[in-house]
Amino acid sequence: MKMSPGRSNHPRVSVIGMGNVLLGDDGFGPLAVELFRCAYECDSNVEILDVGTPGLDLAPYLYDADVVVIVDAVHAELKPGTLCVYCEADLFSRRAQLRLTAHDPGVQQSLAQLRLAGHAPSELIIVGVVPESCGFGEGISPSVLKISSLAVDRIACILAERAINCRRRSAPAQPNLWWLSGDQPKFVAAS
Amino acid sequence: MTRVSIDPVTRIEGHLRIDVEVDGGSVQKAWASCTMWRGIETILRGRDAREGWVFAQRFCGVCTTVHAIASVRAVEDALQLEIPANAQYIRNLILIAHALHDHIVHFYHLSALDWVDITTIPKADAARAASLADGFSTWQGNSHRKLEEVQNKVNGLIGSGQLGIFSHGYWGHPAMRLSPEMNLIFFAHYLEALEFQRKACQVVGILGGKTPHIQNMAVGGVMNAINLNSLATMNMDRLGMLQSLLQELVPFVQQAYFVDACLLAASYPEWFRYGRGVANYFSVPELPVDAKATQFDLPGGVIMDGDLSGARAMYNWRDEKFRSAVNEDVTHAWYRGDGALPPWKGKTEPDYTDFQEDAKYTWVKAPRYNGHPMQVGPLSNVLVGYASGHALTRKWTDASFNTISSVHGSKVTPEDLQSTMGRYLARAIRSSMLSDLALEHWQLLTANILRGDDTTYNPPQFPRHQIEGVGMHEAPRGALSHWVVIEKGAFSNYQAVVPTTWNASPRDEKGVPGPYESSLLANPVADPAKPLEVLRTVHSFDPCMACACHTLDANGREIAQVKVL
Repeated sequence: MKMSPGRSNHPRVSVIGMGNVLLGDDGFGPLAVELFRCAYECDSNVEILDVGTPGLDLAPYLYDADVVVIVDAVHAELKPGTLCVYCEADLFSRRAQLRLTAHDPGVQQSLAQLRLAGHAPSELIIVGVVPESCGFGEGISPSVLKISSLAVDRIACILAERAINCRRRSAPAQPNLWWLSGDQPKFVAAS
Repeated sequence: MTRVSIDPVTRIEGHLRIDVEVDGGSVQKAWASCTMWRGIETILRGRDAREGWVFAQRFCGVCTTVHAIASVRAVEDALQLEIPANAQYIRNLILIAHALHDHIVHFYHLSALDWVDITTIPKADAARAASLADGFSTWQGNSHRKLEEVQNKVNGLIGSGQLGIFSHGYWGHPAMRLSPEMNLIFFAHYLEALEFQRKACQVVGILGGKTPHIQNMAVGGVMNAINLNSLATMNMDRLGMLQSLLQELVPFVQQAYFVDACLLAASYPEWFRYGRGVANYFSVPELPVDAKATQFDLPGGVIMDGDLSGARAMYNWRDEKFRSAVNEDVTHAWYRGDGALPPWKGKTEPDYTDFQEDAKYTWVKAPRYNGHPMQVGPLSNVLVGYASGHALTRKWTDASFNTISSVHGSKVTPEDLQSTMGRYLARAIRSSMLSDLALEHWQLLTANILRGDDTTYNPPQFPRHQIEGVGMHEAPRGALSHWVVIEKGAFSNYQAVVPTTWNASPRDEKGVPGPYESSLLANPVADPAKPLEVLRTVHSFDPCMACACHTLDANGREIAQVKVL
């Protein structure tokens, strides 16, 4: 990995929320990064992004970053609403049985390509929550919503451990959770 | 007779299942099935028509901007609302940058490994590869030193014994025929492409405020503030940044990607003979150059039965023949009903039955144009342009023909484009055209701003009565149309007829197969256990199933089984 001396003083940091906001708990990533943006104040070297479900198009957002925190729904053999933190090696290990919701091939392939090209992030951490339900237009389920404030503090903790400035706001900003507002559309599930 | 089921097809966006019956070394029958529910539209009913685009750009994680633009165009069409010229140019630049990004990813990261065997790279002579590449292109990435660096990386990867994401390739397949040197050149560009993907994203980010989900769209224009004297708005600095990014991006497209696509075609010329399939094509006009959208830089039109001389032009988005010609048939799709309905009256009521090849077998509806299946995508774009004598299309198409002939010797014609290889080549031709147009539209925007025009938005006014509109966009995978019905400012119906729905369409009520299915007929398959040739034809369409169906099935389960029967 490239680490130029100048860069380590101003590391390029990305906090990336992944998932489809229209698919219930799959929208946990975008929800958590928006809540994080409102609860904490970071320096300009920290970019907070809702990338949706970019597949292979994730690569540009990881390119040459120093620290990347990916926040996503994960499929693990654990109770819905459980918060889990993984490192990059877990993503490639069979033992961890980690599967980011529908997005993992994109994460793995983007990382592998960037590593070969010499532009992979120096460190990648995944903050995941086990979803309760990812049905169409369902919004966030209670167990996942409940754990989200813990996830937000965990992101702050991960940054602080790496000496990346991140301060709790004295007055939190109002989160823009446009996809949860208004009437939830009625969904007729296929049997 | 061998039945081969590829589920899921890898290196595409989303999930797709392809079933083929192989006999005597070629495909006799084929089925395309999307294994996930498509119900995007239900979420938009009842929503404020001004906000539809915010939801629409979440239809797909890959083609975000595409749906945002089609959505606002649909509402503007219903209102007959004109948008300022600046808004047209800003939208055009966003959609060009997105398309270039998309085409680059498709060629290198999603499909090159069907043709490029990376395991032969250690045997390449890097110096010979450099001089070979020099003969075709002035691209700066083709130096001996750079190619040697890439070779060392691949040596390291193969030496480690862990190919990782590259471990599932059909390496050593008899249909892989490039020399080690050519494989090295292609793979060097595969890695370099990552940098240019990023530059394309930066263009979208500067104009759209954020990427991948742009923030600047609005029914009535765009929300970019233009003020040459303000630091916080669109000013000469920002315009300068845009110009530099485009000037870096364009040479990669025209000197690396375009040349590579020509070399690929020259190396595998037999693929001009396979994969023709449905020879009905249509493209919608794109890149409006005036506020009223009466003039376009990319022509639209319809071609039936592969007959270029009989092409019908589509001059603008209000083409009545198009509006009345489109129906969606659900005879073989997992929806209630068995006939065809126009999109404005379209329904999305799931009726899942499991895979039944003679009955219902996919979540994709079957769109038809006057009852006919149609192929959409860059190939349609290029054929329609070529048929109408469009100068820019002719310039790059003829350049590709000349390059291929100079390498391979035999002549290539527009007729040859109607094939698997033609779709790869057409995408590179279109990318080169879009590159020229990117710089032109930057010029149009800058000149207009310098003339003192800083308007970007005309506020919409909604009537109480019901109105209908269509938003069209010639997207990277082909013609996209959003069909909306609005009452008192809210959507009462919303149907997106997306490019992959046209191409991945199942059979219709008359049993006529869609473009994927018919393009696979007579496709060679050397080894049914390694159906590489099937992937080549399927990948030539650049499948993106996410909005054609959905990212997950109705129960939120992930479907990920690979079986070759």
